[in-house]
Amino acid sequence: MTTYKRKPTKGELRSQRLEEVVMYPIDWLEERSGLIGGLRYFLFRKVPGDVNWMQTLGSAALTAFLVQAITGVILAMYYTPSAATDPHTGQPVAWLSIVNITDHLTMGWLVRGMHRWGASVFIILMFLHMARVFLFGAYKYPRELNWIVGVLILVMGMMEGFTGYLLPWDQTSYWATVVGINLNGTAPILGPWLAQFLRSGQEISGETLTRFYSLHMLVIPGGIIALITLHLYLVIRLGVTSPPWSKEAAGMEPSEDGHAPLRPGLTQPVPRGISPQGEPGGSE
Amino acid sequence: MAAVRKEKPTPVEEQRAQFAQYKADVKKRGKSFYPYAMFHDTVMSLVVVTVIIALAAIWKWTSYGPHHDGLHPGLLGPEYNAPADPGTTSFVPRPDWYFYFLFYLLRIFKWPESVFLGTIGVPTICLVLLLLLPFLDRRRTRGLGSRPVALVAAVLVVLSMGVLTFKGATANEALASEVIADVPTWVTKNNLPPEAHPGAVLFATSGCTACHTYLGSGGSNLGAPDLSDIGTRNLGIATQIKHLQNPSSVTPGSPMPSFASLGTERLHQLAIFLEASKGGH
Repeated sequence: MTTYKRKPTKGELRSQRLEEVVMYPIDWLEERSGLIGGLRYFLFRKVPGDVNWMQTLGSAALTAFLVQAITGVILAMYYTPSAATDPHTGQPVAWLSIVNITDHLTMGWLVRGMHRWGASVFIILMFLHMARVFLFGAYKYPRELNWIVGVLILVMGMMEGFTGYLLPWDQTSYWATVVGINLNGTAPILGPWLAQFLRSGQEISGETLTRFYSLHMLVIPGGIIALITLHLYLVIRLGVTSPPWSKEAAGMEPSEDGHAPLRPGLTQPVPRGISPQGEPGGSE
Repeated sequence: MAAVRKEKPTPVEEQRAQFAQYKADVKKRGKSFYPYAMFHDTVMSLVVVTVIIALAAIWKWTSYGPHHDGLHPGLLGPEYNAPADPGTTSFVPRPDWYFYFLFYLLRIFKWPESVFLGTIGVPTICLVLLLLLPFLDRRRTRGLGSRPVALVAAVLVVLSMGVLTFKGATANEALASEVIADVPTWVTKNNLPPEAHPGAVLFATSGCTACHTYLGSGGSNLGAPDLSDIGTRNLGIATQIKHLQNPSSVTPGSPMPSFASLGTERLHQLAIFLEASKGGH
């Protein structure tokens, strides 16, 4: 409550009331959850001054994943994971639902096309992002764990590709999956068990289709979302790496004798007491 | 504090100190994520979404055939293929392009003794190495110029994956309509007796040549063995049929799909043809 020396004008009173109305739900949420502080910490945290365009590849991959999630949810509304034969046309139901989405549903071709090609874009961006992290040596202390999480996301992304490929239930997808599962089966010890599990039997059947559908839209995406959350948490906690050729800001190469170099703006050696941990959220 | 600094710090202390310095540096001289970095991220994300929409549009608008259906292949392939039919074996087992490198890897290994190296062995080793990378490369230095081993390894990995993907993408696709033209050549080269001729036609049209080569025809897509001289192993008609019905019962771990759907009579004809194939001259 601002105290005025003079009596506030009508206009001042109105804008003051308006501000209270706008701020009330934000303050209410912050008081009960701390989420607003967390968001502010996320948005206004410092990144090295010379981050470059290559460092947008991670968020680009995230965008591609979100495209997959949204288009996938829409496709799931119209797709039927059934290998049963449709009595009217004599064709498999799953295949018919794909044809229906592609040829008859309004904008269905766009949603399915974005899902089909977004998968490739997602995989390419993950590989490029990984190449950038490798190039920058950004997997080194203390970011080892985040590298591992990233590799797991890549592997799960490729598992999405493998399970999603079967769903159109056409000749290409069917036979590629037959051979793909057989290849998994050549692994020692676990291989035959894994092949049996993926097929849910001796032969690929309608049960394989529903199993792949469940893996493709529930199990693996759930895992990927959990891993992406952990990945982002670690990025925010540990901070963004600056390029190894950086001169301007943080992350300079250690000098020959192994000591971190001193440079203008930071003339004191780092005190021992500073812990490598990041600030907790909201303390800005 | 300077007095404490006299002793040489341990590597662990050193990396902690360096990271603390990084943190202090970023706090002092860095810039705010919003709006600076976020602006770049937003532009890049818009590019990504645009590219995805463009690909979807190209896929659709170039693939409408005369009958107005998605079966007609456009610039990016057909929108869908004929429905899955476990009874038809004339297929080319082709995964999505980002698995080409794994599929093509199989050609490097001989069947069936070492094929699990190609299917599981090499990919697993590569994956484990990839996961363990931060623990294999523990030095603090990050510039590529001072990481020659990492640089060479990266170039080799990118090159080999690129070559394998390219080879997988351009691998021969053996179309039944083309392979059938080679049947007379097989008959003369391999001196096939008349009773093996129906089997030869079946071999050319049932999808066998999608993975197997025979006297120069066929694809060897997955590195499956050449069958020009399979008859010299004298496996016998019964074993051949058993193998065609359930490949892994004869060759444990074989990734070959079952051809039981062809029916006993045609499997018998195929077996006669295979047993008669003695490798030409």
